[in-house]
This record gives sequence, C-alpha cells and structure tokens, in this order.
Amino acid sequence: MTSPLLRVRDLTATVTTRREVIQAVRGISFDINADEAVGFVGESGCGKSVTAKALMRLAPEGASIGLGGSVAFWGQELLGLGEDEMRDLRGRRIAMVFQDPMTSLNPVMSIGAQMGDMLRRHLGLSGKEARERSIELLALVGIPDPARRIDDFPHQFSGGQRQRVLIAIAISCEPDLLIADEPTTALDVTVQAQILRLLMRLREERGMALMLITHDFGVVAGMVDRVNVMYRGEIVEAGPVDTVFAEPQHAYTRALLDAVPRLQGAGAAR
Amino acid sequence: MTRFVLGRLAWMAAILLGVSFVAFMLMRAIPGDFAIAAAGSQSVAPEVLATIRRDLGLDQPLMAQYLHWLGSALTGDFGRSFVTRQPVLGELLSRLAVTVQLTLLAAVIAAVMGVASGLAAARLRGAADWLVRLWNGLMLAVPNYVVATLIVLLFGLYFPEITVLGYTPFLESPLGNLASLLLPAFALALAVSVTIAENTRAAVLEVASQDFVMVARAKGLTPAAILRDYLMRNALTPVITAAGLKIAALLGGSILVETIFAIPGMGQYLFDSINNRDYPVIQAIVLVAAGIVVLVNTMIDIAYARVDARVQM
Amino acid sequence: MQDSVSVVAARKRAGITQGWLLLGLGLAMLAAMLVLTIFAPLLAPYSPSATSPDSLAPASAAHWLGTDSIGRDVLSRLIVGGRTTLLITVSAVLVALVAGLILGLAAGYLGGRIDDIIMRLLDVVFAFPVLLLAIAVVAALGPTVPNLILTIAIVYTPAMARVVRAPVLSVKQWDHVEAARSVGMSEMRLVLRHILPIVVSPILVATSLTLSQTIFTVTALSFLGLGPPPPDPNWGGMLSEARQFMELAPLTVVGPALAIVFATLTFIIIANGLREVLDVGSVR
Repeated sequence: MTSPLLRVRDLTATVTTRREVIQAVRGISFDINADEAVGFVGESGCGKSVTAKALMRLAPEGASIGLGGSVAFWGQELLGLGEDEMRDLRGRRIAMVFQDPMTSLNPVMSIGAQMGDMLRRHLGLSGKEARERSIELLALVGIPDPARRIDDFPHQFSGGQRQRVLIAIAISCEPDLLIADEPTTALDVTVQAQILRLLMRLREERGMALMLITHDFGVVAGMVDRVNVMYRGEIVEAGPVDTVFAEPQHAYTRALLDAVPRLQGAGAAR
Repeated sequence: MTRFVLGRLAWMAAILLGVSFVAFMLMRAIPGDFAIAAAGSQSVAPEVLATIRRDLGLDQPLMAQYLHWLGSALTGDFGRSFVTRQPVLGELLSRLAVTVQLTLLAAVIAAVMGVASGLAAARLRGAADWLVRLWNGLMLAVPNYVVATLIVLLFGLYFPEITVLGYTPFLESPLGNLASLLLPAFALALAVSVTIAENTRAAVLEVASQDFVMVARAKGLTPAAILRDYLMRNALTPVITAAGLKIAALLGGSILVETIFAIPGMGQYLFDSINNRDYPVIQAIVLVAAGIVVLVNTMIDIAYARVDARVQM
Repeated sequence: MQDSVSVVAARKRAGITQGWLLLGLGLAMLAAMLVLTIFAPLLAPYSPSATSPDSLAPASAAHWLGTDSIGRDVLSRLIVGGRTTLLITVSAVLVALVAGLILGLAAGYLGGRIDDIIMRLLDVVFAFPVLLLAIAVVAALGPTVPNLILTIAIVYTPAMARVVRAPVLSVKQWDHVEAARSVGMSEMRLVLRHILPIVVSPILVATSLTLSQTIFTVTALSFLGLGPPPPDPNWGGMLSEARQFMELAPLTVVGPALAIVFATLTFIIIANGLREVLDVGSVR
C-alpha cells in the first residue's frame, strides 16, 4: 500500500465560540487505509467528534474552527482546498453518520427528498433516477416496503429506522470513507447491535473505509481493525484492537476498559 | 384531525356570536336616546320619534332586538345609514375592497422586509446583527400613524410635486392604484415587519443549531440549498403563523393610515361615521372587521395544526 | 462537557449585565418623563392655552419648538399634554393589571369550569382588534378621561389575564405548593405567599410592554378625535391638529411625534431590560 486513504499529521483544531476559545485537538497523527475500519475511543469532550468534523472541515454551528497540520486524502491536502472543492468532496468521497437519528433528519422534508437532494447534487441524477436509487438504498439498509415509505416523513419512522435512513443517505454516493460518530449511542440496546451489524455488512460489501467514533470500548471491539484512544485532544494509545484490549499501556485506556460491562468485554475479546 | 377542525369551527362560531353581541350592545349603550340619534336631530316631533322607534324595533325587548339585528346581519342587511339613509352593505363592501387591497399589500411588504432583515440579522454576526436589532427596537416604538404622518410631511416638504394623498381605483389605472397604495401600505407594514424580522431571526438561529443542518452540510449541499430546504422551510412555519396573527394589527392600523392618506377604505368610513354618529355603520364595521380577524385566526390555527402534525417528533 | 457549561454560564452573565444596562437606561428615561409630568405647570414656559398673534412660528429662543396655528407654545403644550396622555395610560394599565390579576389568578388557580367560563368570555374580547374595540367603546360611551381609562382597561384585560394564568397553571403543580397545601395552609395564604411571587416576573414584563402599547392606543384614539376633549392638550390630539399646517411648521408635528416615540421606547426598553434581568422567556 503506497499512499493510505487518509493520512493525518499533527492535526490541531481550535474551536472559537462567541465567548471562548477551546483547543479541542492538540496535534494528532494517524492513518486510515482503504477498506480498513478504525476506531476512535474516548470520553465525551476528548476531541474525537471535533476530529471527525475537522476531516470534513465542518465547524460546529455558532462557532468557527481553526485547523493546523495536514490532512491528506488519497495524497491530496484537504486543509488548503477551496470551500467549493471541499463541498464536492463532502458526502461524495467522505460521508458521515451522526449520533442522534431523532434530530438528524429534516422534519419537513420527505425521506425521498432528503436522499434525492444529495444524489442529484453529487451524481447528477434526474429526479426519477434519484428516486429509484433511493428505493434501492432503503431496501439495502433494511427498511421494509421502501417504495411506499420513500414519501413518508421522518416522524413516521422509529429511531432505529431513522438511523438506517441516515446510513442509506451517507452511503448513497458510494464514499471512500464513512465516518460514524457515536452512531448507536442514542438507540436502544437491541437496535444498537442491528445498526452495528448493518455498518459491518455495508463496509464489507462496498469496500469502504470506516472511522467509528465511540465512548464505548464494547462497540469497537468486534467492529474495527485498529483503535486510537483519545484523551484531552491527543491520541494517547494506538494499535490493533486485540493488542490494546489485551495489554492496555495507558492508565486512561485501562480505565475505559474497566467501564465496559464484563460480559460484553469477554464476548468482544473472543 | 377532522375532530380538531370541527372543534375549531364550532369555537369560531361561538366567538363570532359573542362578538356580535358585544357589537350590538355597544351601540345600544350610547348615552341618550337611540331614536334621537337615528333622527339626527334633537328637535324632532314626538310622533316622528315614535315612528322611528317602531321602524327600528326599539319598542321590543332587548334580546328580541338583538336576534332580529343578528338575523338581518347574517343575510347582509346591516340597516340604513343615519346620514345617507342608504343601506349600509353597499357602501361597506366597496370600502372593504379597498381596505383588503391595502392590508394585503401591507402584509406582502411586511413579510418581504421582515423575513429579509431577520435572515440578514441571523446569518450576519456581530455589527450587522446588532444594527438590525437596534433598528428593529427603534421601529417598534414608532406607531404607524406617526410613520404615515411623517411620510406625508416629508413628501410635502421635499417632493411637493408628488401626490401622496388620495386613491386611484384599480379599474381606472392598475399602476396608479398600486402607486397610490404603496406609501400607506409601507407605513402600515413597518411595525409589523419588525415583529416578523425578530421572529425570523429567532427561528433561523434556532433551526441553524439543529442537527439536521449539520447533516445537510456534511452531505455537501450548497449553502443556497441548505438555506432554502433546511433553514427556511423549518423556520418559516412559526414565522408565518405569527405574521398571520398580525392581520388584526394591520386591520386596526388601516383605520389610522387610511384617514391620513385619504384612502376611501373601511377605516376612513369608520372615522367619518364616528364623527357623524352614524351608529349602524359603526356597528357593521366593528362586526365585519372582528369577524374577518376571527376567521383568519381560525384558518391559521387549522393550517398550523396540519403542518405541526408533520413536524411533531 | 465542562467547557460548554462554562460557556453557557458566561453567556448568562453577559445577558444579565446587558439587561441591567437596558433597565437602567429605561428607568432613567422614565424618571425624566415623570419629573416633566409631575412638575409640568412649573416647567412649562407658557400656559398651554395662552394664544399669541405669533402663529406657526419656527423655533426661537422664546419658543423652543415654535408655536401652533393659533400661536400657542408647542413645548409647553407638549409638557402639559404629557400629563393627560400618561395619566390615562398609566391608570388604564393599572386597572387592566388588577382586573387581569383577579381574573387570571381565579381562572388559573380554581381551574375547571370557572377557568373555562372566564377564559371563554375573555376570548370574545380578545377577538377584536385592540384599536377597533377601543374606538367602538369610546364612540359609544363618549370621549371623557374616565371613559378612556375604562375602555383601554377593558381592551387590555384579556391579555393580562392570560399572562397571569399561564404561570399559575404550571406553578400550582409544584412540590412546595403541594407541601404547603398538605400542612393545611389556607387557600388565600397559599396564593399570596407561594403562587403570586413566582408569577410576578412575567407580569412585570407584560405590564411594561402593555404600557408601551397603551401609549399607542391612547394617542391613536386622540389622533382620531376620540381623545380627551379640547382645549386641554394631549400628544395624539396635537399631532392630529398640526397636520393641517405641518408643511409650514414641521416642528408642530415632529414635537408630539418624538414625544410619543420617546414614551413608547421607554417602556419597551424597560420591558426588555426586565426580561433579561428576571430571566423571563418571551411574553406574548
């Protein structure tokens, strides 16, 4: 493998709100190879979500974000890219699934319209083509009777179904990298497992790279190849997931591992 | 949903009944003898007064008078003007048409100005936001009739060649009609546009912090598409609802603005009728104007509930 | 997480200082108005009804705001006219406040049928456009000062009652009210000691906003010729009278216009300041 899908070097992110300046990411470096799943684990506020947004150059609403270092995507530097070029990349090459499916869909647009606007924008599909493609995608993520449900509005779907829809939207333009930011945190335990299995399956079928962000070691265990542990804006430990599980080097990693319920931890380490 | 609509309609009917009772009782509460007011003079022969009383049904019990008046009003018979001795309805309808024109134009101006400046205040940060809010705060304190008077004054002082007073009927000259209503509509719209701007600003800021806007940005959509489909569509529903409820303010304000700009609408008609103590006309205008407000508010309620059912999460 | 909490706290603090600034400004403006109003006869340079041959005069050292069409001093009439306008405004709002308090507390606290009846009756009054109802009532009763006060009080009572009722409804479910009830506190004491204080903030804000709207309604009625009868000056009436000759003496219009705007602005600023200081959500 010559050039990795994503090569991040000394990335810093400074979030500026009206009242405060927060150094959220303090010089982190990591690689994600094509077709690889990488976990980012840490407690909330450790900078993992800001890292994800930084890769797509998205600032939290009401704040601005200052980035330093280097983010190379297929060898192309993203931090120097113009906003227009960056917009062509978002959703098309790098897509993202967010934490709360209940608030991540626009309540006044039908599901079909929210899938279609992106397909038309990036792939130049006609309205009819986008609709057909959306129905296929809904079927793919396991929404029953998709041809009928495509005109429904978000409030007619359950939380788990909404997250499936959001995943369908994210993979609709066949991105090279899918970033999933706490994709199961807001869901019921039984639904969590289904969504994780869906993400696994899609990754294998489509050969996407996956960046899975979570506070829960139990979630990454069976899902990813490598894991990065983040604490206060830095990566404190990195390595193959089995190694990190078996021999955590950093005290913080051990504390996180202790927080995982015994049964889940044992099953994951299998 | 059907139950809700029927409930709202029944409620509207009840309110209208109450409104009509208030309108009726007010004009019976005038000091002095209603018959003398109808005769238009103090020195009337007792026989004439007796005839007037019988004609107007004043010798009947109050409740019977009310029911009779309400029944007539429902069929469009508001009685005859004390001044012109003509049926009130004909004059009222032609005046109403002018007022509706003025109010609608004002509503459009208020909506465009309000949404545009509210959006600007929400999207631009810092000084621009601050300036728009300062302007809004100031404009909220300037009553529409003061704005109207000052407009007339300014045009009189600096552009005396431009006629700002008077009204051109639509059939005579559609463009002249629009021109004659533009300044009054602006004066009427200003205060309402400020409220709409404040509401828009708050709603857009609220929507902008929602997760689905971040999702839309992550989808790589253009700012224009995000503004149209994600921000505006969500923000404008409450804004339009609040604006619709301002119809009452516009109708009330038209009384003043029409008087100042010499526009022969319902407001000026009311003003003249008050000066002439033309009670049947006052009664009819109060009833019709309140009826319109109740009707519009009910329609907005129902429309909003429909949208809300979709928005409800 | 800690970071965002401190951000919220910082915002709140900033809001409160801004609120105090607004409140201070508003109260200073109110104080200036009150001084002018209370000492009006002493401060006015001329008698408001004294005519002079010098009619429609421009601003001069003798007449700072010029004179009107029959040679009366505009500044003196403004100062004295403020008395009438503010007297009607403040009295009307006080009456509406008391009526709204009684009706709103009764409706919110007693609930059930009484709540239904009170609120439905008020809804009927609420259905009229404010100015239209005021015009109709004054036209019927006749434009005297007591009638004007009564009319405007009637018009604004429903809104006041609504503002009082809403917090009462939510407050009366609260634990400490339940607790007080369970230890056998009398109903009357319950309302006065525990419910009233909590509903005071929104009422203060609403009262201030209503004052600003009432200035509008009072002056608008006078403007339409439904104000206190001449020759006593009042702002709306002055504006209306001056329109005839306003191109010859713009100050006769600008003076009362500015006075009306100043008074309205005062109460709006106080309302906004109170809202931030007392941390009340938007009151409608």
